Amino acid sequence: MRRNWWNSYVLAALLSVLVATAAFVSYRNAAFERRELGRATLAATSVSQGQRPMDNVVAAYVVSPASPSAKYKFLRERSVTESDGTQRRLGGNSARPHDKRIYDAANQFDKTGTFVQLVTDTDLVIAAQPAPTGVAIAITTPPTGPERFPWLVVLGLLVMGSLVCAAGTLVGGGARPLGLALGASGLAVPTYLWSGLAMALVLIACSMLVAWADWRGSLRRAGREFRKGGIAYAFLTPTAAAMLVLVGIPFVVGLGLGFYNNNHGEWTFVGLDNFIQILSGDGRSLSDPLNFWFTLGVTVAWTAVNVVLHVSIGVALALVLRQKWLKGRHGFRMLLILPWAIPNYITALIWKGMFQFEYGAINSVLSTLGLDKVNWFSEWSTSFASNVATNTWLGFPFMMVVALGALENIPSDMYEAAEVDGASPWQRFQHITIPHLMPAMLPALALGAIWTFNMFNVIYLVSDGRPGGGTDILVTEAYRWAFERGERYGLAAAYATIIFLILILWTIIGSRLTKKDAE
Amino acid sequence: MNRRAPKPLSQGFVYLGISMLTVVVLYPVMVILKKAFEPGRNFATSVSPVPTEFSLEHFENLLSSSNSSGDLLFLRYAWNSTLVALATTIVGLFLACTAAYALSRFRFAGRRFGIATFLAVQMFPGTLLLMPLYVILHKLSLLNSLLGLVLVYATTAIPFCVWTLKGYFDSLPKELEEAARLDGASSFKIFYMIMLPLAKPGLAVTGLFSFMTAWNEFILASTFLTDDSAYTLPVLLKSSVGQYSADWGLFAAGAILTSLPVMALFYFLQRYLVGGLTAGSVKG
Repeated sequence: MRRNWWNSYVLAALLSVLVATAAFVSYRNAAFERRELGRATLAATSVSQGQRPMDNVVAAYVVSPASPSAKYKFLRERSVTESDGTQRRLGGNSARPHDKRIYDAANQFDKTGTFVQLVTDTDLVIAAQPAPTGVAIAITTPPTGPERFPWLVVLGLLVMGSLVCAAGTLVGGGARPLGLALGASGLAVPTYLWSGLAMALVLIACSMLVAWADWRGSLRRAGREFRKGGIAYAFLTPTAAAMLVLVGIPFVVGLGLGFYNNNHGEWTFVGLDNFIQILSGDGRSLSDPLNFWFTLGVTVAWTAVNVVLHVSIGVALALVLRQKWLKGRHGFRMLLILPWAIPNYITALIWKGMFQFEYGAINSVLSTLGLDKVNWFSEWSTSFASNVATNTWLGFPFMMVVALGALENIPSDMYEAAEVDGASPWQRFQHITIPHLMPAMLPALALGAIWTFNMFNVIYLVSDGRPGGGTDILVTEAYRWAFERGERYGLAAAYATIIFLILILWTIIGSRLTKKDAE
Repeated sequence: MNRRAPKPLSQGFVYLGISMLTVVVLYPVMVILKKAFEPGRNFATSVSPVPTEFSLEHFENLLSSSNSSGDLLFLRYAWNSTLVALATTIVGLFLACTAAYALSRFRFAGRRFGIATFLAVQMFPGTLLLMPLYVILHKLSLLNSLLGLVLVYATTAIPFCVWTLKGYFDSLPKELEEAARLDGASSFKIFYMIMLPLAKPGLAVTGLFSFMTAWNEFILASTFLTDDSAYTLPVLLKSSVGQYSADWGLFAAGAILTSLPVMALFYFLQRYLVGGLTAGSVKG
């Protein structure tokens, strides 16, 4: 029984590979022929208009109408104009290699009104087009190297191949891995023909990998898992597809851009140069704002200061606002979450105006109090403080609301029971409030840290990096490399990749820490 | 909670502290209101946030400014912003709710990977995807179009919605589902008939944030939209207080009109911010 399954599988696999290969080859041939015929026709057209023929043209002439030969009246001869202006008779003693083909093509064109042909044995394409003084004939040859690989077709073939392999996996059988490897490798033949050795080797490696996974039993396990989680996958599919198109593709493109350098729209592959330039500081001292490590330091300080302020102010306010004796606590709550409700770029622009030297509200308050006006963005410390003030103003309500939510979920009888047992207010806070607060605050803290780390708007709109880019954080720095410092897209993409790696690292460490905390 | 109120003195300190904080919170808002309603471009240096004169001059200027072909700019940009934000929200919620439910309730191979991926994608700085998106949208000739902007916003809206909704589904009780499953309901039926209605507050909050994020976004908008007929409101506001000509009165009026819709939404839905609904559902 098992053997029968196996045999029919091999047969099906071989047959589908055969069909796929044939379809692939014929598609490729049709596409190739269509393209080459078009190219030759185009060359003939340009010759008929008296233009210089394009590349890959073997011979191109405007051929005169046929006229009786002077020597033998029954022969009809045609002549062409050489590039130096002399007239030359086709054929005869001084014949050039393609004279016969040109002559025949002109005759065919006169008879049928159209002529275009691919001579398969010599890979020449001959096309004729009408010209004012006769017929324009062009003989072209396909340019060296294969035409671009048709990715869609290959993708289709791969899907087909994987379907065959999946069918085999579900069927089961002893020597299956070998069949899988051979079946999938069959695709390597057309790949080799049109796309070279490297692609074919990749394909063979892939099929070997699949076969190896099958031999290890991983495929069957995956299949079982897939069937078991079938409903979950059905729920996930629409989102996964959208993410793949909207995020996956740009992400991969972005990763790739980091290895290129953009010079006025011309991309050149530079390998790891961008990353080396960033991570080595590009020869700048550590105190130079353009040094990556300086910017990273600023970013870390920025994130830490803000998160500490957000959480401490937010939690403190939440602890106050939940007190039942506080009159108007709902009113206070409404007013205090106001900064969250205002779009943050508007907040940033408002604060930028408030920190303005001459007419800004902050300096007005200072001078009313009899203090000197401060030029906020001329010094690093005051500039950084302006950013922090803005971001604290707009960021604490989130933490406050999260903390309030967590506090309201604490059952009040817990406090009552603790009070009956004689627990002091501090003990109640330590053993009831804090443990209930933590599960809500930790994710909020992680989220807040990431938001702050990437808080483009405040930095960009309030201090705008002043003084001299010193208050820029990583995301604004990457943006400036792309759009304000000579369109260095490659460098900016490398920057973005590094930021992403930092965030990934951070998340992994963070989740380890919280897990340890929970245990 | 603490049924006995503390001493009047400490109560007084608490009132004082919270009132001062409230003043700090309100002050910038008052400054903007003053700038919006005070006529002219007088750079008032007084500290008081109360306007000395009242006029709607800046609002009139803002609403009546038009481009060369006679389009009213502010209304046009408001329409653009609304379209983009609404479309982003709908796309985000629609695509996210099923995935969030699956990640919350089912245990399957690749679940942890899925969760990690959505979290990671949500952390992407916009600039990481900005250039590749620019290149791709250029290829698809979707630059300078609102559809292109919706697609760009969806890259952050979908993972955000998945992540937030998953959190919300996690907080919903499993009892209702288990009861429905015992009654023979299919997974899809449970999802549509029980979980989605239960998750309405979560959907509302998530949708609100998604809408606000799209409405409030300006870097991507100002990078991708180069034609001033396709601008959204943030691009207009940013340009009104540019480096060389800052018209704070106009900006203030625009800021108020732009913020009001999202602020109203925010206050209308903010009671859902604290998910107190779960407890009620199990008890009832």
